[in-house]
Amino acid sequence: MITLSNVTMTFGNHPVLDDIFLQIKPGEFVFLVGQTGAGKSTLLRLMYMDILPTEGIVSVGKYSSSNIEKREKPYLRRTLGIVFQDYRLMEDRNVFDNVAFTLHVTGEKSKHIKKKVLHALGDIGLAHQRNKMAHELSGGEQQRVVIARALVNSPLFLLADEPTGNLDPGTSHEILQLLRDINTRGTAVIMATHNYDLVRRTNERIVQVKNGKVYDVVMK
Amino acid sequence: MSLSYAMKESLAGFKRAKLSAIISIVTITISLLLLGIFAVVTIHTSRFIDTLRNKVEMEAFLQEPLSRQELATLKKRVAAIDGVKEIVYVSKEEAAKIFKDEFGEDISNVLDFNPLPASFKIFLNEGHKTASKAHNVNKRLLSLKGIESIKYRKELLELIDTRTATVHNLTLSLGLFISLSAIFLVSNTIRLAIYAKRQLIRTMELVGATPGFIRYPFLLEGIMQGFLGGIIATCILFLLLEYATPLLSVQFSEFIHMEPLFYLIVIIAGVFLGLVGSLISVARFIGIVTRS
Repeated sequence: MITLSNVTMTFGNHPVLDDIFLQIKPGEFVFLVGQTGAGKSTLLRLMYMDILPTEGIVSVGKYSSSNIEKREKPYLRRTLGIVFQDYRLMEDRNVFDNVAFTLHVTGEKSKHIKKKVLHALGDIGLAHQRNKMAHELSGGEQQRVVIARALVNSPLFLLADEPTGNLDPGTSHEILQLLRDINTRGTAVIMATHNYDLVRRTNERIVQVKNGKVYDVVMK
Repeated sequence: MSLSYAMKESLAGFKRAKLSAIISIVTITISLLLLGIFAVVTIHTSRFIDTLRNKVEMEAFLQEPLSRQELATLKKRVAAIDGVKEIVYVSKEEAAKIFKDEFGEDISNVLDFNPLPASFKIFLNEGHKTASKAHNVNKRLLSLKGIESIKYRKELLELIDTRTATVHNLTLSLGLFISLSAIFLVSNTIRLAIYAKRQLIRTMELVGATPGFIRYPFLLEGIMQGFLGGIIATCILFLLLEYATPLLSVQFSEFIHMEPLFYLIVIIAGVFLGLVGSLISVARFIGIVTRS
C-alpha cells in the first residue's frame, strides 16, 4: 500500500502539492493526469522518496517518510520499479546488462540472473535484442527495456513517469498495453501522463493533479 | 556485492571510458614522478649529511704517564659513557707513525723526544653525532681522570645541525605540499571522470543500489589506475636514475642509488593515491547526486 497523508510539498517558496491525501492499493492501475508542472513527477518522487514531504507522511509498504533513514532508501526502491520518460538506460552497457544491473544490486546469484533477465526481456518481446547497446534501439524499444529493468525484481509497484512522453501514438499504446499486461499479473502500476488521449475510455482509476490538489476523476 | 562483480565492473569502467582513465593514470604518474624525484633528492641529501656526520670523531688525549692498569680502567669508563660506540687506542709510537705518514717527517728527527701524547679515537653512536650530544660526551670525558684534552670538529657539527634543521623543515613542508597537491590533483581528475558518469550513478541510486555498491567499482578502478600509474612512474624513475644520471655526471650517478624497496613504495603510493583520490571524489559525488 502507498499512502500519502496530508502531504504538502514546497520547493523554496513555490508550493507544488498542498495537503493532499492519496492511497494506492496493491494491484491497482492508476493514471496520474495533469498538465506539465502540475506535480505528477513530484508525487512519484515522493513515493520513491527521492524527496521527502515538507509536511505530512508518505508511507510505502513498511517504509515511512517520517522515519526513513538514508541507508534504507535503496531497500525501499527495490520494492518499486521506476520507469522514466527519458529512459535513463545505462548507455555504457548492452540491453542484457542494463536489466541485469537491478539484480546485481540486490545481490542475486549469477546463475539466477541470466534466467530472470531473459524471462523479463521475453515478456517485453526483446530477448533477441539483448546484445544491442541502448542507443541502437528505437525509443519504444528503449522504453520496453526500462520496463523490463523495473520488472525484473518483481516489484509490488511500478511507477512510470510519462513513459510515453517521447513516443509516437502507436508506440505509446503498445507501451500502455504492456503496462496493463503487467498489471494483470498483480503488479500495481502508477502511471503519470499529460496525454489525455491515452486515458480516454479507460476503466482504470484516474487521479488528476491540479492546483496542488489531487482528485479522483471519471473521464467521459 | 561480490568482489568478482566489482572487479568486472571496474574493468568494464576502464574500457568504457578509456580517455578519462588514461588522463587519471597520467595525472597519477606525474604526481608520483614529482614525489619520487623529491624523495630521491631528500634521501640523498640525508645520506650526504650522514656522510659528513660519520666523518666526525672525537680524539681524547691522555695524561702521561698512565700505567697499563690505569689505561684499562680509563678505557672501560670511556666505553661506559652514553653515546660511545667504539674506542681505538693510539699509543705515542702509533701517533708518531701517523705524524710521519701525514707530514713525511719523523718527529724524533725534529725534536729529541716524542711530544705526541697517546690518545683514544672515539666513535659515536648514530644518534649522538650532533653538536649537543657530542658536547655532552665531551663534558663527561673531560671529567674522567687521565684525560688531558679533547679534540673534535665542534663547529662542523654545529653547522651540520643548523643546515639539517633547515633542510628538514624545508623537505617536510615541500613533501607535504607535493603530497597534498598530488591528492588534490588526482582526486579532481578522478572526480571529473566520475562526474561524467553522474546520470549512471543517478540511475544506479534509483534502481536501489546502495552507496557502497556504487562506490566499490569506482574505488577499484581508482586502485587499478593508481597501480598502473605507479608502475609507469617506477619505470621512468628507474630509467632516470640508472641510465640518465650517468649521462650528466659519472661521479654523481655513483652517488645516486635507490633500493628496490623505493620502487615498491612508489607503486604502493600510486595505489594509495588512486584509492584516496577516488574515495574523496565518489564520497563527494554521491552526495551531489542525491542532493540534486
